[in-house]
Amino acid sequence: MGETAISTRKLTKVFGHFTAVDNLNLEVKTGELFGLLGPNGAGKTTTVRMLCTLIEPTRGTATVAGYDIMREPGKVRREIGVVSDGVMLYKDLTVEENLKFLSTIYKIPNKIAEDRIRELLEMFGFKEKTKRLVSALSSGWAKKAMICAALLHSPSVLFLDEVTSGLDPQSAIALRDFTKNLCKQGVTVIWTTHYMEEPQRICDRVGVVFAGKLVEVGTPNELKRNVNDATALEVESPGLSGVQVARIRNVRDVVKVTYEDPMLRITGTRKEGFIEDVTETLREIDAKVRAINTKEPTLEEAFISLTDGEEEIDRFLEMTSRRK
Amino acid sequence: MTIAMPRSNPLSEVLAVAGNEFRQFRRNRTAIIISLVVLPLFFTVALGAGRGGAGTRFSSTSQVPIAFVDDDLSTASGQLWQTLINSGDFHHLVQGYREENAIAALGTGRLYAAIIVPQGFQGKLANNETATVILYVDDGQPRIADEIASTLRKHLRDFNLNPELKSAQRRGIAEIQTIEKGAFFSGFLTGLPIVLGVVQIFAAFYEIAGGMSKEREEGTYARLLLSSIGQGTVMLGKTLYDLILSTVRTLVVLGLAVFAFGARPHTDLGTLLAISLLLALVTAGFGFFVSSLGVGTRAIVIVEFFLVLVLIAFSGFAVDIELMVGASKTLSSLLPWTYGFDALRRTTLLGQPLLSLSDDLLVIAVAVVAFYVAAYFNFGLSRERLLT
Repeated sequence: MGETAISTRKLTKVFGHFTAVDNLNLEVKTGELFGLLGPNGAGKTTTVRMLCTLIEPTRGTATVAGYDIMREPGKVRREIGVVSDGVMLYKDLTVEENLKFLSTIYKIPNKIAEDRIRELLEMFGFKEKTKRLVSALSSGWAKKAMICAALLHSPSVLFLDEVTSGLDPQSAIALRDFTKNLCKQGVTVIWTTHYMEEPQRICDRVGVVFAGKLVEVGTPNELKRNVNDATALEVESPGLSGVQVARIRNVRDVVKVTYEDPMLRITGTRKEGFIEDVTETLREIDAKVRAINTKEPTLEEAFISLTDGEEEIDRFLEMTSRRK
Repeated sequence: MTIAMPRSNPLSEVLAVAGNEFRQFRRNRTAIIISLVVLPLFFTVALGAGRGGAGTRFSSTSQVPIAFVDDDLSTASGQLWQTLINSGDFHHLVQGYREENAIAALGTGRLYAAIIVPQGFQGKLANNETATVILYVDDGQPRIADEIASTLRKHLRDFNLNPELKSAQRRGIAEIQTIEKGAFFSGFLTGLPIVLGVVQIFAAFYEIAGGMSKEREEGTYARLLLSSIGQGTVMLGKTLYDLILSTVRTLVVLGLAVFAFGARPHTDLGTLLAISLLLALVTAGFGFFVSSLGVGTRAIVIVEFFLVLVLIAFSGFAVDIELMVGASKTLSSLLPWTYGFDALRRTTLLGQPLLSLSDDLLVIAVAVVAFYVAAYFNFGLSRERLLT
């Protein structure tokens, strides 16, 4: 890792009155596995589409593999591979036919293309599935076929957009391992996801995106440390009514409450005095409390709960800006 | 490092796109059957036969008055008369007319045809020369005119092989030639230009517009754009694919027309193919333009429906353009398909050579260029909307 593979400067995308990506400043090093984490609608896919030159930014600039996305889109496209739900293979063709067609339009010489296709299909274990129509493949195998297509021309930058959605756990694990190996070979990978555990497991660095803004960038451990103010309580309290649960939600700095009788889980953005406020409220609502436990919040709880809804977004942004 | 190399070979990319389309097409049996069999067959039978089949089952020559003018007054001509009567196909054969009276009666509708056996008929047969029989038909009755001609030709052929005639009247086999006087259009032939045009329009529009919309909706359009391939290459490749299918469709229609319905276009295959493909090309261009507007696959069917309605009303499909007046005529002159139908009529029915139709062809060519250029630029301008 050394040189910059991807660089964005005030990258912005506005659709009508809606700002999908807002002043994104990002740098990803060559060979890095960079995670873009955020809930649905946060702007991850729009960012990927701009970097892939599928759509143009409203403002700002970006370079991918050293080429400007606006001035040299053709060169960018030769250097990138994309796996995304919006970029598919031909369903009425076999995997092999799809790859052969793509090798022609990527202008790969025939002999090199043949070898490369064989290598990729063997690597992913296609065997007899090579001759199957893409429409006849399961979602896992179809995803693998799309990855083969993305890797066909040996790109230096790979965009994997929500690539594990719909995959069984085994395939997802295999894909993560494969991606890590790719990075060791010098390929830069942008991995977008809304699953918290994925960046924790494999990404070198993670950028947290929501409401179009990049609000945090760091290694997974750095991000976890930054949410030390979060508190999670587990309360065993059977038979709570909706009204009672709503009262808990109104406690200051509570961001998420889930109740599955008899377990009540409360997440807050404050440590000091939080447990006292919660227990006081439990007493006021005459809740039958059998036990209260403090839990270390997972990164997922901290971030997904914090990005869940407008109020939570505002609170999280306030929190991060206070920290800075 | 990427192994994609900037080899410059646009032709191979165009062929690759076309080949890709064919690979998908051959996997879709329904599309093959509808596009290459059902569509040509349906329109050929429905439009063509409905306007007057030149076959054998749609008309009866036995019921219509036909004059038999015997200027030869020979045994051979007498035997010809008897042959035609005995056949049952010319039950209402009338003698006693002179040639000029028979022609006059044709004009007033009292006769449907006049068969003239000229002087020297038997003599030519005896001398092994080509004998002639002249047939006048009423071109105001195109439906039956062709039926009368084909029935007469059949019986003349049989008459020629009559062993009695062969031995008594002549030595060897002589040819009897039918001369068809006056311009007439066989019933089916008047429908053939319509069939050729409509089949192309129906199929080409859906293949291009529907195909592009499908690519967009299924995500393969984004796949194409992510490669180095240009929008122009995609359009050319799909056009090539469509032109090849259009050629097959034209040949199917013509094959049915000629062999099943006995149509005899007054022009050559090359001319008919050229104009049909030009119609397919302008429709393909229109299809690209419509799809560049972001119309979905289901909406394409609705657009096609309205396109056909407009063409039926204004392009000469149902009403000859010469008969249109006012706003209809104006609108008709703005549709490139009008010129295509007109060019097909002129070549098929009147045998006009292709070069004499330069005005019609120029209008269609300009429309082709306009649609393709507009579509190309619109794809670029609407790229974001088409991909999101």
